[in-house]
Amino acid sequence: MVEPLRALLALCCLALLTIPAWAAPLDRAAFAADLCGDGTAQVRGPEGLVQAGGDLSADDLAFAGRLLNALAERRLSCPADGALLLDRPDAPEGHDALTGAVRPAAEARAPILSLRQRAAIETARGTVALLTGPDPAARAAGLAVVERRIATVPAAVLDRARDAETDAGLKATITGLAQAAALSSPDPARRLAAIAAVAASPSGTAQARLAALKNDPAYASDPAFQAALDAGLAKVSRAVVIGDGLAVVYNGLSFASILFMAAAGLAIIFGLMGVINLAQGEFIMLGAYATYGVQEAFRRLAPGLLDLYLFAAIPVAFGAVALVGIVVEALILRHLYRRPLMSLLATWAVSLFLVNLVRVTIGTQNLQFAMPAYVSGGVPLYADFVVTWNRLFAIAFAAATLGLTLLILRRTPLGLDIRAVTQNRDMAACLGLPTRRIDRLAFGLGSGLAGLAGVALCPIYSVNPGMGSGFIVDSFMVVVLGGVGSLLGTLVAALGVGGANVLIEPVSGAVAAKVIVLVGIILFLQRRPEGLFAVRRRR
Amino acid sequence: MTHLTRRSFVGTAALLAAPALIRPAAAADTVKLGCLFSSSGTMANLEGRLNHVVRMAADEINGRGGVNGRQIEVLTSDPASDWPLYAQVGRQMLQQEKVAALFGCWTSVSRKSVLPVVEQNDGLLFYPLHFEGDENSKNVVYVNSPPASSVLPAVDYLMGPDGVGAKRFFMIGSDYVWPRTINKQLKGYWKSKGIPESAWREEYVPFGFSNFQTLVNQVRSFASQPGGQAIVVLTVVGSSIPDFLREFANQGISATDVPILGLDMVEADLEGLDTGKLVGHLNCWAYLQAAKGERNQKFLADWAAYVRAKNVPFSADTVIDPMVSAYDSVNLWALAAAKAGSFAVPEVRKAFAGLSFNDPSGYTLTMTGENNYVSRGVFIGSVNEKRGFDVLWQSPNAPTPVPFSPYG
Repeated sequence: MVEPLRALLALCCLALLTIPAWAAPLDRAAFAADLCGDGTAQVRGPEGLVQAGGDLSADDLAFAGRLLNALAERRLSCPADGALLLDRPDAPEGHDALTGAVRPAAEARAPILSLRQRAAIETARGTVALLTGPDPAARAAGLAVVERRIATVPAAVLDRARDAETDAGLKATITGLAQAAALSSPDPARRLAAIAAVAASPSGTAQARLAALKNDPAYASDPAFQAALDAGLAKVSRAVVIGDGLAVVYNGLSFASILFMAAAGLAIIFGLMGVINLAQGEFIMLGAYATYGVQEAFRRLAPGLLDLYLFAAIPVAFGAVALVGIVVEALILRHLYRRPLMSLLATWAVSLFLVNLVRVTIGTQNLQFAMPAYVSGGVPLYADFVVTWNRLFAIAFAAATLGLTLLILRRTPLGLDIRAVTQNRDMAACLGLPTRRIDRLAFGLGSGLAGLAGVALCPIYSVNPGMGSGFIVDSFMVVVLGGVGSLLGTLVAALGVGGANVLIEPVSGAVAAKVIVLVGIILFLQRRPEGLFAVRRRR
Repeated sequence: MTHLTRRSFVGTAALLAAPALIRPAAAADTVKLGCLFSSSGTMANLEGRLNHVVRMAADEINGRGGVNGRQIEVLTSDPASDWPLYAQVGRQMLQQEKVAALFGCWTSVSRKSVLPVVEQNDGLLFYPLHFEGDENSKNVVYVNSPPASSVLPAVDYLMGPDGVGAKRFFMIGSDYVWPRTINKQLKGYWKSKGIPESAWREEYVPFGFSNFQTLVNQVRSFASQPGGQAIVVLTVVGSSIPDFLREFANQGISATDVPILGLDMVEADLEGLDTGKLVGHLNCWAYLQAAKGERNQKFLADWAAYVRAKNVPFSADTVIDPMVSAYDSVNLWALAAAKAGSFAVPEVRKAFAGLSFNDPSGYTLTMTGENNYVSRGVFIGSVNEKRGFDVLWQSPNAPTPVPFSPYG
């Protein structure tokens, strides 16, 4: 009788290996009822799933995942009995979650989620994605959610995910997270590993978690624990300080890039012709509206390439706004060159006209922009320092604009002419330069730069007819501080003003920061009225 | 050649400017109502809608035969989001146009600037926004809720078990009277609940501020400190709202991490935003577009029809609380004037006591003789993917408004 017994035993072992004996299968009907239940049930269901997550079969998890996704995406319909999965929100019929039969979704109620339910459902979806995600990217996304709420996820889930993980990098991340989760484990060795793991991915939250351990009795009694905690805390604190420093630099750069974009065109117009162009802000607004036009054209003609509309908008916005600038110059400003006050008033009138023209023709609402992945969201780079793509886009855009403008001014015949007219208009005219034509082109270039600013600002600010008015004061401030007519001065002034604002803001608040910067500029101009970089000017 | 003195120049300019400021629709034997809502400047996108709602409400009443046998004539103006100009236009409407009532103002600072004008001329101003309270003029009808019946229930909800059990609070506001007073009252309220002062932070930004990176960084580090769940109480106004939300979402903070309670946040502020990453943030008003009931369905349909018929330059599918409140204002005034049988302000004011009106929110608005406050329901809304708000919670009935807050 030995042989059959052994065979039976082997079979049992085999069965254990291939179809693991799960502690308890998911009660699918109860889970569906929970998701369709009241607020408490909608929290209980997902939380129960996460707690049992380590032991559930892949089938059960997939089932739960389908239901949770449907609930979060408003595709779950709740008739009197059971739950229906719809293909899209408000579909007339759906598949029964349990039987798969097609049933009408009439009289069904789509539950509205409160924050508590939302958090529980997010965690449960993350757990399911981590355990059953088809590819490493999906599992990593799940892990990111689980990591945010690590306190509510049992160790068994992480252990199972780690054991099943095939991707080496992700496996290491899960291992680190699993170690970090053992911060209050009774086993001293695991606690030390946990402290090291938490310290390995520093953030403000990690700092708070470690700092809380200082009140732990082990901190006083166990020297090894104390040393490990102090070292970990020091490491995290240092990283957080560096991360915050990086964030300040980044914020300053980003604000400076916006100031520079808004002021660059003005530096040329003001510098060359001495025209105080109060319509510059509206030129920025027109650039943004041109970008919107390009987006709509893409939507109609080439929906597949919609993500590239921001790049396609660059020449369009530049060209369109430059054209507007040239028309304004030809129709109005040309006649007012010897009367600076009149040209100031005239450009103000132009600005009012443009704002109201857009308001009447398009409306006052904020425009709806599709945000491609490269300008939405961000990535945590180091500690609490997050690089947001839209700001990075603006910084890169400003740098490119600066390079191109310098290239035009320094390396092209037009640039040579512009510089000649800027330095001495009468002499340039005597030498045969068509100063009027150069004025017009320079005004076009300056306006075009404002149009480019409009493109760069679309992903950052709300686009509406009034958006330009906010820029005009800041950009004049930057141009005057930098030294009229000097592009590099404008750059330095933008960096200075942006940096000063960002540095002062956390200390004394945004309102005081503006005041302090303004007072600083006034004092500086008292000492040095010609600004940072004085350029020899026409008489 | 005549000499143009400074005085005569100013006089002529004022005469020339007068017709430009106020645009009447001329008709004989009508009763005039004046609107003080900007259609230019920072508030244009929000306030501009209210002119049209007042017109729509007046058209409805005129269709039913007018008030006391007279047709309503609505005068609109453009105070250009310039606070002192509200007072100037308001004075002109009361003294020259002899309007029976004014409907206007969005920000509290504009209301405060009109207040002395309506008090001196014994006019009536219907104010359609929820606000900081602590004011009780016999010349202003506060159609929307003071904090005790709007902000506090919402904060209570967030602090309670149904919300997120909020323990710590980051207040961010535009730098003027409404945010500062609201925050003062909130602090008093939290103190009364025994919450320590270290549990909150308060930051203010200038009007039209848009560079929220540093503040969002501060919110993140505030939320990571120990002491319990943090929330943001947002009282910035105008274009700062979408700019803040965008930065918040881009830095990867979701509503389940740190929820935002946007006290001035309406559907119109979500225009142009990708709300997928903002789902779950909250607001609180006396009306939400998603309110259930036939009266709301009818109002939404009426507004959409009005937008199409009159070619109104605003969205036909977006209705915000102040629009409904402006609509309620005109109806309340008409009811009171009909009850008084007169358009004289003292008579109309006396008629407010005991007035009730079934408005689109589904609640019945009531007024008492005690003050000029209107009792409204409370909604808490939650941002959804479709740039709107779902009704997360609503009060079982319309609470009695408390003009003066006991919390500061």
